[in-house]
Amino acid sequence: MTAEPPTVPIRPVAGQPAEPAPVPAETPALSSPEPPTVPIEAVTGDSAAVTLPPATRPCPACGQPVFADENYCQACRAPMTEEAAAEPAAGAVVGGTPVDAAAWRQSGAVCGTCGSGPIDADGYCEACGTKAPSGRDHEETDLLVLAGVSDRGLRHFRNEDAMALGATQAAGGPVAVAVVCDGVSSSGRPDEASLAAARAALGVLLAAAEDGQDLAEASTRAAHEAQQAVKVLAGPPGSTPPSEAPSATFVSAVVTATGVTVCWLGDSRAYWLDESAPAQLTTDDSVAAALVTAGIMSEEEALASPNAHVVTGWLGADDSGTAPHVCTFQPPGPGVVMVCSDGLWNYQPDAAGLAERALPAARTSPLAAARELVEFANDSGGHDNITVVLVPFPPAGPLPAGPHDVTRELTP
Amino acid sequence: MSDLGFTVEVFQNEFLPAGGSDVNAIVTVTSPDSGQPQQPTGAGAAEIIIIDCSGSMGAPQSKIVEARAATSAAIDAIRDGVAFAIIAGTERARPVFPADGRLAQAGGASRAEAKRAVADLRPGGGTAIGQWLRLAGQMFGSFPSELRHAILLTDGKDEHETPADLDAAIRASEGMFSCDCRGVGTDWVVSELRKVSTALLGTVDIVPDPSGLAADFAAMMAKAMGKQLADVSLRVWTPQRASVRFVKQVAPTVEDLTSRRGPAGPQAGDYPTGAWGGAESRDYHVCVQVTPGTVGQEMLAARVSLVVGADVLGQGLVRAVWTDDEALSTRINSQVAHYTGQAELAQAIQDGLEARKRGDEDAATARLGRAVALAAQSGNEDTAKLLAKVVDVVDAASGTVRLKRTVDDADEMALDTRSTKTVRTRK
Repeated sequence: MTAEPPTVPIRPVAGQPAEPAPVPAETPALSSPEPPTVPIEAVTGDSAAVTLPPATRPCPACGQPVFADENYCQACRAPMTEEAAAEPAAGAVVGGTPVDAAAWRQSGAVCGTCGSGPIDADGYCEACGTKAPSGRDHEETDLLVLAGVSDRGLRHFRNEDAMALGATQAAGGPVAVAVVCDGVSSSGRPDEASLAAARAALGVLLAAAEDGQDLAEASTRAAHEAQQAVKVLAGPPGSTPPSEAPSATFVSAVVTATGVTVCWLGDSRAYWLDESAPAQLTTDDSVAAALVTAGIMSEEEALASPNAHVVTGWLGADDSGTAPHVCTFQPPGPGVVMVCSDGLWNYQPDAAGLAERALPAARTSPLAAARELVEFANDSGGHDNITVVLVPFPPAGPLPAGPHDVTRELTP
Repeated sequence: MSDLGFTVEVFQNEFLPAGGSDVNAIVTVTSPDSGQPQQPTGAGAAEIIIIDCSGSMGAPQSKIVEARAATSAAIDAIRDGVAFAIIAGTERARPVFPADGRLAQAGGASRAEAKRAVADLRPGGGTAIGQWLRLAGQMFGSFPSELRHAILLTDGKDEHETPADLDAAIRASEGMFSCDCRGVGTDWVVSELRKVSTALLGTVDIVPDPSGLAADFAAMMAKAMGKQLADVSLRVWTPQRASVRFVKQVAPTVEDLTSRRGPAGPQAGDYPTGAWGGAESRDYHVCVQVTPGTVGQEMLAARVSLVVGADVLGQGLVRAVWTDDEALSTRINSQVAHYTGQAELAQAIQDGLEARKRGDEDAATARLGRAVALAAQSGNEDTAKLLAKVVDVVDAASGTVRLKRTVDDADEMALDTRSTKTVRTRK
């Protein structure tokens, strides 16, 4: 996202997903006959594959994984005690820690820009001064049942997108969860906002999927938790001016054997990709979308207009006043659910075009297909951060055995 | 200093437009607060007071009388155990105390003896400041000490040696000791003493009335006694294919250090900052020209550290990030803007006074007018007051001024010596 939110939120026509028309909110009545199996969860946004310190510990109250830098459980909001913090992760699998400069030094890597200098303790080349790529500049997560790639792109100095991926074995079969958030560049600390939001939502959605809860309701709750997590970043009321309030867009997809539940706020999107009836499942909360909906402009004209990327809905302390939208979707057959930020769809907004690029590879190797889509966006200019998560439908096992690190970064 | 952790803060707008190459940053360096007055560093410190004893110091007689009193006051302010000496300066230099040309250790007896020797000082002879510096250098060299500081007082022009003699003596003294210079009366030359104080990392000021000397000397000595760490350098590392455009101290005074760069390994240079006391804070303006990166790229434009020998006391990073977001790249950092203005203020005053001496009234009016406007804008009230003694201010905001018909020499010299004093702004 490149433009800043307008001071007065423009309310778009609320939550009407594009065709195919959503089926009425389907409630997959997944009971939980046995204790939920170990959820496999990967959050990228700050993860690395260099070393794997325990990045989470289980919540003493509900057992959900809690990230090492959080002092309360995102799922049940129980405070984390020091003893709990000391516990290693029991079973959940997450990405590791950011690629830090020490790891670069140890790896003996040389600068990718000038090809000569070693990387100093602060992460810069000792010869040409160029910052070594690290942390969120490029991340790949492969959970087999779903995979995602997030990339800084070519024109932004950092990656303000974040993705959180998870998979678990529920009563009805494997469930895949994908969350993508895009920090609003003009707000304060957008990179932290997107990461906090994606993490918070993933925890809620995984727990709901395991417990067989109503996924539409859980999605709204997840968006709410994401909103809270972003608000926390702004500190106590009044401590951050509204123009600096961290904010981010939000889109989540929970994919079960029987359907897809999508929730969004802003202009990050979900698509259904197959050969016969590809479709955009979300409708942007943006000026462009409002113009199209109102019949003022064609989609092409609207996207070319200067305010096309001004979002009218977002997560943040400066509440946009727009409620998150939820829709459920019954796929007509096998295909792929794609969740992405505007860094991708700017270059290929229509579902058919995206399906053509992603299929058939996305059905069987979602990681490779996601990489190719990111590469396509970079080849097209890479003007924004790019995040693409692909979930083949129906989700098929086996889930990778945890705990292990499933995140791969741009390796030093 | 028990804790050598210096704080280094960097204030900058790191965002550059595509193709942008100049990276500006204000680097604020603060030495650790050691709490209470330090343990005497004993033999670690040495002080020499150099008193002009030329014939003119006897006219009026109050000059030599007050100079003797001021020297006594300074002697009283020397901490026990510090090595010290007194030099009488004429066209030659003579050790007054100890008479053998070495340094004495400060204590009750040595202080009393020194004061007796000072009381016997009589004016007579010429002025060769270079000779004084050379003797001070020899005396400091005879005694191992880390903190070497001198106070130099004169009342006249350096006329019994050539400017080249003085320059050579200054060069020989650089790095040997630091020197605070004072001119009493109005017959001395600001540019001569500034040359000494700048090279020897000290201050220069005018004491128009001899009766003000004692308080000034005591304060200078007290400040010198507060110094705890000698020979601190500002080290600036830059990437390949980058160059340092300038390094200036900008607070508490403007001192251009650019030409003072010494070697410090590959891609790095050391700029001398002299001795530091506890909880002392100075600001530096560093400007580096780098090879532009691509939009989206981040580069370390400079690593600025405080070093003593091989010890790094603290460091800060100056970054460059190229962006096509104009809202980011066009922001002007308030610290950089403020100190750019303060440096221009000092320059405008010096240019204006220079033009006034040449008789170029138009240039003098224009430059001093600019100085009045800059002083008003930045809230530098002390400098504004000094300017108002040299020009009649018609409108401070626009810098409209008229040169005063008659200006007191002392006022003009005070403006000249104090033109480099800056004010800080809120961070």
